[in-house]
Amino acid sequence: MKRILASVTDGKGFDIGLVLLPLAFLFIMSGLPLVYNVVMSFQEVDMFSLGSFVRPFVGFKNYVDLFSQPETRPILLNTALFVSSSIAGQFLIGFGLALFFWMNFPGASWLRGLFLVSWVMPGLVVGAIWNWILSGDFGVLNFLLRETGVIEGNIFWRSDPNYSLWAVIIANIWLGTSFNMILLSVGLSGIPKDLYEAAELDGANALQRFFTITLPMMRSTIGAIIALGLIFTLQQFDLFAGITSGGPNNSSNVTQYWAWDLSFRQYDFAKGATISVIMIVFVMLASVVYVRSTRHEVRG
Amino acid sequence: MTLQIELNGVNKYYGAFHALKDINLAIEKGTFVALVGPSGCGKSTLLRSLAGLEKISTGEMKIAGQLMNNVPPRKRDVAMVFQSYALYPHMTVEENLTYSLRIRGVKKAEARKAAEEVAATTGLSHLMKRYPRELSGGQRQRVAMSRAIIRHPKAFLFDEPLSNLDAALRVHMRKEIRALHDRLHATSVYVTHDQIEAMTMADHVVVMRDGVIEQQGRPLDLYDRPANRFVAGFIGSPAMNFIPAVVGEDGTHVLLNLGTTQARLALADPLAPGRAVTAGIRPEHIRIVAAGQGAFDVPVGVVESTGSATYITSATQPELTVVETGRGDVRGGDIIGLSIDTMQLHLFDAETGKRLEAERARGDAGAPRHLHLAQAVR
Repeated sequence: MKRILASVTDGKGFDIGLVLLPLAFLFIMSGLPLVYNVVMSFQEVDMFSLGSFVRPFVGFKNYVDLFSQPETRPILLNTALFVSSSIAGQFLIGFGLALFFWMNFPGASWLRGLFLVSWVMPGLVVGAIWNWILSGDFGVLNFLLRETGVIEGNIFWRSDPNYSLWAVIIANIWLGTSFNMILLSVGLSGIPKDLYEAAELDGANALQRFFTITLPMMRSTIGAIIALGLIFTLQQFDLFAGITSGGPNNSSNVTQYWAWDLSFRQYDFAKGATISVIMIVFVMLASVVYVRSTRHEVRG
Repeated sequence: MTLQIELNGVNKYYGAFHALKDINLAIEKGTFVALVGPSGCGKSTLLRSLAGLEKISTGEMKIAGQLMNNVPPRKRDVAMVFQSYALYPHMTVEENLTYSLRIRGVKKAEARKAAEEVAATTGLSHLMKRYPRELSGGQRQRVAMSRAIIRHPKAFLFDEPLSNLDAALRVHMRKEIRALHDRLHATSVYVTHDQIEAMTMADHVVVMRDGVIEQQGRPLDLYDRPANRFVAGFIGSPAMNFIPAVVGEDGTHVLLNLGTTQARLALADPLAPGRAVTAGIRPEHIRIVAAGQGAFDVPVGVVESTGSATYITSATQPELTVVETGRGDVRGGDIIGLSIDTMQLHLFDAETGKRLEAERARGDAGAPRHLHLAQAVR
């Protein structure tokens, strides 16, 4: 007993304790619900069996049912479009801004900090703001597009099935760009200045320096940010709740919103869990990419 | 000889800070020039201006006869070896070497051949596939130099390239860089804060302080006839002794003031009587004799021996350092006599620090042999 106590106060026991504590926390708060979710996707769940863990096992029936539903395919495609467009928009604009502020003109860091405002705002607030901007009859976006001659008639962004998903994508790009910019700025400032001087003396012009020095040196940062982008956009729920609620007629519905809708509005918990499991697979893949790219940093 | 680098009245300001003050410099093709001075003296700024990484404020700068003031670095055709080496970490040694060629659109096979040729001369052939992080400091240094050599530039610029190496490797690379220069006959400008590097490697040494060229010339000329007190104290190791002194009443001798001790030395050429001067004498030009036999006697403070030489510091104000080859039998607390060769005495104006050229016939038989020994052991 004494030896165990001594080991806890100043030995291996202390180290193990330090590891066990967060592990236990992680397991209880994240691990168990995850397992519960996976188990639920293989069970028949209804309102009455919700309270018990022991429920009839149905194998892959929930998965088969899910994929036989007519809305599954469009929603999966919507999700793919939402994720890829959001990441592309956030990354490209974020990288552009990061490069812009990297030039370090007077007030650059101050202005860059201001950009973070969009990131610290709650998704529902952002959704409300974009509701006004995107509004069909009196929205600012329509006004601008109309006055510049891009469009002739008003676009009803949120209620037109052709545009509803893009309404959320635009808001999401606005929301996530500054986060991309900050991470990319950090990556840029980590590139030693003398590399650019050496490349300049070696005869490289600005474009060549960007492609031969900046991009390769940013590889790990870019990998990390795209993986994080995938994770964050798959988590994006507030904007859908705030702007389109997945409608009209599922035209802007995505898996993460659909899972919630199935579980908590249609009380089909098994299908909700099934969709979540499919999403877990994608998020896990993204996490692997993220961990790998942060580990393989190329630095002097 | 043709001039490869010309600077006429070059000034550089950073806002209100005057970094380079009216720099005039003419470097002949094929010479090895060292810019030396304490940190913040402007030597790196001058080098970076040559590279085009800093823009000069006024004056004109020519490389190979062409005005370079507004030419961007990539069009100047100069190569630079950075203190940090600045190797491209995401490229192998071979890719690092061929970078400049690939940028210029040289064919891949041709670039590889050029890289192999250079690598063979710098001993990198077996490391071509390695990344910089897998190399030792000395190997990285070689890659940095090879990257410059492969371009056959109009001038090589070195920015303290040896300061990240350990002492033994530094001495070795010093010789290697000089040998390389002799082989390529390239014009080189070498920035260092280490006067020994400047003295041993360069054909022409430029001593700078506070943005001003204090003196330039051949290394031993600077050593034998420093233009002012700063250069005198900067060049040579251990540093020259400086003693406050006054010219005697008849102007033919000088009185050295060592606190409790006074010494009287004859002047080869007369100076204005009563003039306040600073006398400078190199440690290797003072001989230790028995007490009462020399110009004056001093008590011994500290004795340090490196085995090949002995450094004796006197317990006077100011301290005097004497270097003796071999191992003396002097101990701390002894009273010794010092004999000074008046031909080797340097006199500087006490206020301006300028060298007083009492035009006497200096028997410059060169510095004694043991000087080199003293430098080598440092």
